[in-house]
Amino acid sequence: MSIPESLKSVENDQAAVLRVFHRFSLGQRWEHTIIIISTLALFLTGLPQKYRTATWSQHLLSTPERLNFIQQVHHIFAVLLTLEVAYHLFKGLYLLSRRRLSSAIFPDWQDISDAWQMLRYLLFLTKEKPRFRKYNFEQKITYWFLFFGIGIMVISGFIIWFPIAVTSFLPGGIIPAAKLAHSTEAIVAAIFVLIWHIYHVHLERLNLSIFTGWLNERDMREYHALEYERLTGENAESQSTGGSQ
Amino acid sequence: MIMHKLVLSRTFWFGIGLLLLVFFFFPATALAEGTEEYCLSCHGNPELTLTMESGETLSLYISPEMLEQSIHAAKGITCNACHAEIQTYPHPKLEYGTKRDLSRAYYLACQSCHSVNYDKTMDSMHAQVAEAGNLAAPICTDCHGTHDIKSPNHPRSLVSTTCGKCHTEIYDQYATSVHGGALIQEDNPDVPVCTDCHGVHNIQDPRLESFLIASPELCANCHADQELMAKYGLNADVYNLYKLSWHGVDVTVYKARWPTIWHESALCIDCHGVHDILKTDDPASSVNPANLLATCQKCHPNAGPNWTGAWTGHNEISRERTPFVYYTNLFYTSFTPVVLWISAIYVLLQIIRATVERGRRALR
Repeated sequence: MSIPESLKSVENDQAAVLRVFHRFSLGQRWEHTIIIISTLALFLTGLPQKYRTATWSQHLLSTPERLNFIQQVHHIFAVLLTLEVAYHLFKGLYLLSRRRLSSAIFPDWQDISDAWQMLRYLLFLTKEKPRFRKYNFEQKITYWFLFFGIGIMVISGFIIWFPIAVTSFLPGGIIPAAKLAHSTEAIVAAIFVLIWHIYHVHLERLNLSIFTGWLNERDMREYHALEYERLTGENAESQSTGGSQ
Repeated sequence: MIMHKLVLSRTFWFGIGLLLLVFFFFPATALAEGTEEYCLSCHGNPELTLTMESGETLSLYISPEMLEQSIHAAKGITCNACHAEIQTYPHPKLEYGTKRDLSRAYYLACQSCHSVNYDKTMDSMHAQVAEAGNLAAPICTDCHGTHDIKSPNHPRSLVSTTCGKCHTEIYDQYATSVHGGALIQEDNPDVPVCTDCHGVHNIQDPRLESFLIASPELCANCHADQELMAKYGLNADVYNLYKLSWHGVDVTVYKARWPTIWHESALCIDCHGVHDILKTDDPASSVNPANLLATCQKCHPNAGPNWTGAWTGHNEISRERTPFVYYTNLFYTSFTPVVLWISAIYVLLQIIRATVERGRRALR
């Protein structure tokens, strides 16, 4: 890629034109959007149901019809999220059957050593941040925490939605357990997203790659150095800005 | 005008003659002070009767012994406190066609002293029924008696047998229940009599949603009382645990917000029964494990045999009784808080490190 002469001066003022790297497919970006919309709707319609004895909840659900309505809305978004989960799993299984499933998101021993080095960095024991691949261990934790969290929510949700059908082949004791899990996991997942995910994608840096599909070169070099080097064959530490190359 | 026919025995005409003589020497005002002795000189005769227009025979006999034992006599309250309109002999003519009309007129006298309780009865289910035209609906005297008025709850079982005079079917159920049995056989001072749940003078329609929705609190009056339940080896946490349950939360909300709207969630009585409550280990109890599924199926008709396992009972979470809930709870009280705390501390360390790094760069 060549840069027009007129931009070269701008580049020297460190407002360089940066290369962008493809990170998420359109399908993945849609999946993320559907998950945001459905989980937010499920959280907002679920919370007043969880805290039904609280005054604020009773102000919202001021009539039995409203309670019924909010449950209908909850069920509609539950179906949407379930379809998304089913799509995600079947796509994964399909790719696996074609031996095309990327291993990038699966945790391995490198993540343990990355986490250890990161901890040393955070405790001022080293000045070197670990160099990450396409997904760093923080992002893998986010994915797998929510993978299992949403899994628990979907399974427990259907158990308490259709308790009679479920107990026709499973022991009755799982109904109150599912109710407890559904009610608690929702809060656990919400707290996790709020402190972990929101910090990493909004506060530490603004990372909109899941919406745009691409990540700029600066972030690639700093946060995914190994992936940058794998893709470009360049040294991520090199001071030359990618834009000029 | 209504004609009343006094039917008196021949020997008693003599007594009447004598009375007239006595009357001659007594001023009429003497009656106003009311002396039982004076009234009983006629009404002490067991054969004194009156035939009413309806053909009913009204006994005018007042047993002196009975009167003596009444709670009013002990307090010095005499005939004319209630029979205030009778000032003289001969008495004014009775203007009531039937015995019932007479009773329904005379009981109004109760309110001159017992106005608070009398006013309460005006709001009662019984008063509503009477207003709707059923004159058999009870008035003060039907429960408390007339000349034989005694303390209404000595013995306590008297309360329930009094209600049972009309509510025979319910009384029979109650008598065989754990509550009624203990009351009738042991004169147990703790079990509820009818009025403990239904109220005394302002008894409400127990079929109304507003009564039903508040009924768990009636049970809780005793069953949430630690001291009382300990006496019988019963768990006093049942009500608090019920309130946490699916049914209980629903009932709490309906009671708080929509007490008059019909709801479907189970109240204590829906599972345990109403007047026929038995001990849970009684084989005939509706909540005995052998009968529990049938009880659940009243509301959940398609429930299968596994369904009753979903009922955690009025018990705390325990590994033996509710293992699924136990381990789920363990997971969320030990594992997840640790994970969340680690996440929070990690992010906090990141914030500190990033801030220090930024500061260093700014100083450079």
